[in-house]
This record gives sequence, C-alpha cells and structure tokens, in this order.
Amino acid sequence: MTPFVLLDGVHKQWSPTVRVGPLLLGIPRGEIVALLGPSGSGKTTVLRLLAGFEAPDAGRLVIDGEDVTAVPPARRRCGMVFQHYALFPHLDVGGNVAFGLKGSPEPGAAGQKVAEVLALVGLAGFEGRKVQELSGGQQQRVALARALAPEPRVLLLDEPLSNLDPTLRERTRRELRALIKRVGITTLFVTHEQEEAFDLGDRVAVLNDGRLEQVGAADELYERPASLFVATFVGRANVVRGGGATARALGAHDGEVLVVRPERLRFADAGLPGTVRERRYTGAAAFYQVETERGERLEVLAGPEAARVGDRVYLEPAGVLTFPEERA
Amino acid sequence: MRARLARPAFTLLLAWLVLYPVAIVVADSVRGDAVATFVSRPGEWGALWASLWISLASVALAAAIGVPLAFLFEWLEFPGRKALGSLIALPAVLPPFVGVLAFLFLYGESGFVARAVQAVFGLRGPPWRLQGAGAILLVHAYSMYVYFYLLTRAGLAKLDASMLEAAHALGAGRWETLRRVTFPLLRPSLAGAALLVFMTALGSFSAPYVFGGGFRVMTTQIVATKLNGELPLAMVETVALALVAALGLALLRRTEGDELLAALGKGAAPPRRPIRRAPIRALAATAGWLFTVLLLLPHLTLALVSLVPYSSWTTEALPPVLSFVNYQRLFGEPERLRPLVNSLWMAAASTLGAVALALAAGALARGQRAPRAPRAPRALHAPSPRDRWRGPIETLIALPWALPGTVFAIALTTTFSVHAPLALRWVLVGTVFLLPLAYLVRNLPITGRAVLAGYRQLDPALAEAAASLGAGRWTTFRRVTLPLLRPALAAGGSLAFVAALGDFVTSIVLYTYDNRPISIEIMSSLRLNELGVAAAFGVILMLVSALVLGFGARR
Repeated sequence: MTPFVLLDGVHKQWSPTVRVGPLLLGIPRGEIVALLGPSGSGKTTVLRLLAGFEAPDAGRLVIDGEDVTAVPPARRRCGMVFQHYALFPHLDVGGNVAFGLKGSPEPGAAGQKVAEVLALVGLAGFEGRKVQELSGGQQQRVALARALAPEPRVLLLDEPLSNLDPTLRERTRRELRALIKRVGITTLFVTHEQEEAFDLGDRVAVLNDGRLEQVGAADELYERPASLFVATFVGRANVVRGGGATARALGAHDGEVLVVRPERLRFADAGLPGTVRERRYTGAAAFYQVETERGERLEVLAGPEAARVGDRVYLEPAGVLTFPEERA
Repeated sequence: MRARLARPAFTLLLAWLVLYPVAIVVADSVRGDAVATFVSRPGEWGALWASLWISLASVALAAAIGVPLAFLFEWLEFPGRKALGSLIALPAVLPPFVGVLAFLFLYGESGFVARAVQAVFGLRGPPWRLQGAGAILLVHAYSMYVYFYLLTRAGLAKLDASMLEAAHALGAGRWETLRRVTFPLLRPSLAGAALLVFMTALGSFSAPYVFGGGFRVMTTQIVATKLNGELPLAMVETVALALVAALGLALLRRTEGDELLAALGKGAAPPRRPIRRAPIRALAATAGWLFTVLLLLPHLTLALVSLVPYSSWTTEALPPVLSFVNYQRLFGEPERLRPLVNSLWMAAASTLGAVALALAAGALARGQRAPRAPRAPRALHAPSPRDRWRGPIETLIALPWALPGTVFAIALTTTFSVHAPLALRWVLVGTVFLLPLAYLVRNLPITGRAVLAGYRQLDPALAEAAASLGAGRWTTFRRVTLPLLRPALAAGGSLAFVAALGDFVTSIVLYTYDNRPISIEIMSSLRLNELGVAAAFGVILMLVSALVLGFGARR
C-alpha cells in the first residue's frame, strides 16, 4: 500500500555542518506519527518542509498521491498548529477559525462550520471571544479548530503542548489524541518529550542530527532500539563502553557498547560488585546509584526497600542491548 | 522575475528621491569658484559656527529642563501628577513656526509680558527686544525639552527596580546609585534625546528667521544667499550644513550604545515615592502647576491674539476689543482660505505617498517569509534578496532625517530646475508639485520608522498560519499584515501629516503663489501687521495638528 504522506529522499542543507535528511518516511492514512528528537535535531524543519515553508534541496514530498514539492503552502491543504499558536490578534475566535473558510460558496456555511469545529474542540459558543482573553489551553484548542476547519488533508502540530502547564498537559494530551482519532486525519507532530511522543503517536520517528534513527511503535523503540542514540534517548539507560572489567562482567566483547535499562539490573547474591551511593525514592520503587569498583556509576530500579546507601551489593543483568563501538 | 526586480527597482526609486538631489548639489557646489567665496567670507564661517554652538547649547538647555522633569513625574507622587504629566508634553503639538509666533506675541517687544512690564514700571519704551542668540535659545529650550522629557520618562519606566535595590543592598547611597546605575542605564535614552535635539536645532529655521536679527545661523544664511541670487554659494553652504549634520549624527550615534535595558529581562519599574512632608508636597504641586501654566501661555496667547480685530490694539496692555472677525474673514474670503486648503491637500497627498513608500519598504525589506511556491534552492550561505536589499532600503528611508530641511529644499530646487529626462530631471520648480514632493521626502523617515518597527513586531508565524489556511500573498497582506500594522500606520501617518501641515523651512524655499501653505500666509500676514489673522491661522494649525495627533495615538 502506498503511504498517504511520503517524504521521499527529502534533503535540506543549511550549512556544511547543519542539514536535514535525506529522509524516507511514509505515513499511512489516519495515522498519528510523533517526530521525536533533541532540540536542534531538525524536527521542526521536517514539519516546515511538509507545510511548504521551506523548500527541500532534493527529494519529493507526496500527499495523497500528489507531488506537492513545488506547491505553495497556501494550496497544500496542510493544517498547522504553531508552537505559540499564531492566533491572529486582530480577529476574535470566530474570525480566526473562519479565516481558512472564506471563499466557500454560501456565506452561512462558514458560520455553521465554525460552530461545528468549535464544538468539536469543546469551545462551543466562543465565537465572539477575544483570543487574548483565553487561557493557554483554550488558545491551543482555537489554534487546533482553526487548522481543522478547512478540512486539511494532513494535520501538522509543532510542539502543541509545550506552552501548557504540566498538569494540563497530560489531560490535553489524551483529549488531543481522542479528537484526532475521531476526525481521522493523518497527523505529524513534533515533540522533544518522550512521554508525549509515546502517549500521542501511533508510531514514533526518532530524529537525530537531521537523520531518522528509527521509526516504530513505542515498545519497539524501547525494547529493540536500532541505535545507541535511540537506546539512550528513549528511556533511561546505563551505558557501558567495552573493554573494561564492568563490561566483561556484563557479558560484553571488545568493540561493543552495552546498554542496560535500570529495571533490567537486579540486586543478586553474586555478580558485578558495587556500593550503593545514592537512593532516590519515587514511591512504588526507588532508583539506586551503584558505584562499581572501577568507579563507574550504574542506575538500578528496584523495590523501595531493596538496599540502603553504603550497602555492598552485587548486580545481575536481565537484559543487555549491545551496539558496535563505532556507532557510538 | 517580476518579484526579483521589485527590490532593486524600489531601491533605485528611493535613491532617486533621496540621494540623487543631494548628490547633484554636492557635484554642482564644487564647480566654479563658490567654494573659494565660501572659504574667504568670515560671515559664512560665523554662521556655521553659530549653527553648531546654538545646537549644542540647545541640547544642554533642553536636557537641563527635560531630565529633572522626567524624574519628577516618573518617580514622585504628588497631587495632579497624571494630568500635568501629559500637559507638559504639549509643546510637541505646536508646529515650530506657530510656536515662534506665539513667543513673539508673548515675549516679543510688543508682546504681553513686555507690555505688562512697561505698564508696571511706567517705562517709555519696551523693556527688551526679543532678538539674537538668546531669543533663539529660549524658543529652542521651550520646544525641544520635550524630547528629553519623553525619552527619559520612557527610559525610567523601563528601569528594573531590583537593579536599584541591588545597588542599595551593595551599600550605594541614593546619589551613588543615581550616578553609577540609573544614569548609565538611561544612557541610550539620553543619547537618543540629545541626537534628536541636536538635529532639530541644527535644522531649525523659524526661530533664527524671526528672532535672529543680525545673528545668522546656516539655515537662514542659505535662504538669504538664495534670495540674493547666489545659488552656487547657497549650494556650498548647504553642503557645509549637511556635513555638520552628518558629523553630529556619527558622533552621537557612537555614544548611543546598545539597548542595554532591552537585553536585561523585564523587571517592574520602581514604584513612585509619595512626597511625605506636606509643605514639600504642596511646593512640588505648585511648581508643577506653575510650570504647566508657563508652558500653556504661548498657546493661550495665540488664541487671545487671534480674537483681536485689525488695528484695534495699539498701546494698551491688554487688547480692548475681542471678536471672531478674523476667523470670519479667514473662512469667508476664498483667497484667505486658499492657504488652508493648499496645506491640507499637500499634507494629505505627501503623507499618503510617504505611507505607501514606507509600506513598500517594509514589505520588501522586512516582509515575512514569502508563503509561496518553493523555488530552486540557493547556494549555501547566500543571503536572500530580502536580506541583501534590507540595508540599502532602510538607510535610504532614514537618510532625509539626517539632513536639515533647508538642505533638501535647496537640493530639490537644484535638481528639478533642469529639463534633462535622460538624467531623470524635470522642471518642477514653479509648479505646485515640488513642495508636496519635498514634504514627502522629508516625511519618509517618520512613516518609514513607524512602519518598519511595526513590521519587526509582527510574528512571522502569523503569515505562515495564513498561508497554511490557504491565503495567498495578497490575501495575507490584506487580511493579516495590514490590520496588524494599523496602529503603526496611524501613528506614522499622523506625525507625517502634522509635520507637513506646519512646515515652514522647506515651504519658504519651494512655494509658489498657487500652492502657498499656511506658514507662508502667516508670514505675509505678519508683514502686513495683520497679527490677528496670523494668530487665527496659527490656532487652526494647532487645533488640526492636535486633532490628527490624537487620532494617530488612538488604539
């Protein structure tokens, strides 16, 4: 099956050292893909390339079988929610949402559509409100309603939740996913928070230094990371370089890098010896910093009463990921 | 292709309007023996030196009045502070020539104050003559302290109280904090005000023209030389004045420094300290009110004199008869109304032109990322056409500000007195079009500054949002950019309109009988000793200016 959205060898070079791509990414119709990566990895550039605000140096952008690489943004039909929402300050909520609707044949239809979309985002009756008077969460929903109103083919979200306070963020995240699924629109959204990407996205695309490291479901990324970068960027990880006693004790060969998740290290009667230096209590469990005899620090997730600071312990790995050294 | 030519073409148009006339004057002035004449005449050097020291003294006087007032109104709380604080900026509403007129009626040798002194002491002649450098400085101090007042107040309002508290906590006393923290932080504001006053004083024409007497500054010298028919010499004088202006600009720009305050986060401004001791509070309030009355006196004088019928007031201390006859004549006689109509259409046309050019400059130099079809990629590091043309466009837009009005007037007369279409010169001297063109060029910095600032404040994401919602270039401009620029357009447009309406310095060089503006009519009324009519024109000018400025400041 051909994907609904396709970035085919898309490449953009800013300077000899800063570039994005070449990227190959296909998104089936109706899927939500989270673009996850550290700041500066090129996430937003990918979004802007798709929206048409940047032109690729090479490659093709295809939406619904149409090559849109040379189509101006105004005719790409990509709805976009900007990081700071970019609501028009001189228009009220209704005016903002109706902006993309003007030019529709019958005038009454626009008003009806505005009401419909506002109801969809839970802001029914807000048409006459000034955007400056709305809370951050409401502004975000107006921006979403505005993007959805012209019924775009693709929805693009640039860090849509980063301007909300943490408690609101988690609830909004669930609502946002439910809403997108209800509309059924193909969605690409950018985030630098792993939890957000896992929660919202059907699949997650990890971007590093302008390159796609891996695309897959959340558990796939966590359990079977394709690279050392993905292993360390997604979830907590202990990294042990090959060649040392610690690496050997954990079963590594020369030229390999080991990654062990904290929950995959157990306190045992025998194994890698070390001393507990720190204990960070989180309620149901605790994180322990264990110093090996060679001075390396390893993080262990275990029961809250499993050890005390100063205890001499032995560690046993229950699952180790190995990567070749040169990829590090 | 069309879009690629737009920026160079627009830059050339600006260069033709702004740079070309000045270049022609410079080129013409070095020909012939005018330079030798200039160098050999001590009067020329005297006028140049007078321009310079009058300007510097004006800066010092304006600062001495404006800065303490700014501290008084921004830092202390006393009865009537708010109302007085805005009244005190009133001289800004008075067009320079009208201000001079008001001073003449108030402090001139037959003005109210002189007559009162004469009456009180039973003197036979007027107690003083308002003439020479002192008179010019008095008018300058009155009309230019506003720059220091407004800019210092704005700077103080931006100060972060925690910085002053930090200084106190580190053991600095009140004076030490003022000297080591407050003033250094205010430096950009003070330097900006000094620059404004210096340039305004250097280009000032009305006050030296009316009060100068035998005392010549460069602006009046240029006009006198031109009236004598020594145009080549006038050009050399013009170039000399322009050089002093450029020098002053360069020197003051260097001391302006960076916008320190902008870089250092936002803290709350220090709270106003109420004056606790009752006598001092009363004193501050009284002083404030007295000062305001003093400031308002010229306006009131003008209004009063406009009610005095022709030749009804001779030796009395106060006019014996008051009536609206001057206004009736002014609006009743078509010939009298002509200057008002002339000024209004020329100000409106030149403002429209200046706003349109400023908008074009903003769109071409600062416009938001073009939401249109992506083109072939550019070479790495190559600046976009927008970036490449931004510098030239913005410099050309700002340039007329750096040159006194007289300079432009002479430059335009010189350029447009020759028919040479291949050199882009046509004969406009003697037509009604040259004066509005001069207003337009002179007002470019005003509208340009406002519109470019407006463009800088626009969030580029807004244009992208519009594009992603299906709006093309023109729709985005019409439905997003233009509405958001409205306050900037209103502010810049109203300032430009008022400046053109009250202009005297370019008008006196470029007017014809058919387009004589209000200021020229005021001058001829004064010559005919029709003081009431002159004052009535002044009052109308003042009211229209206040009205337009009020409209422009509305949000």
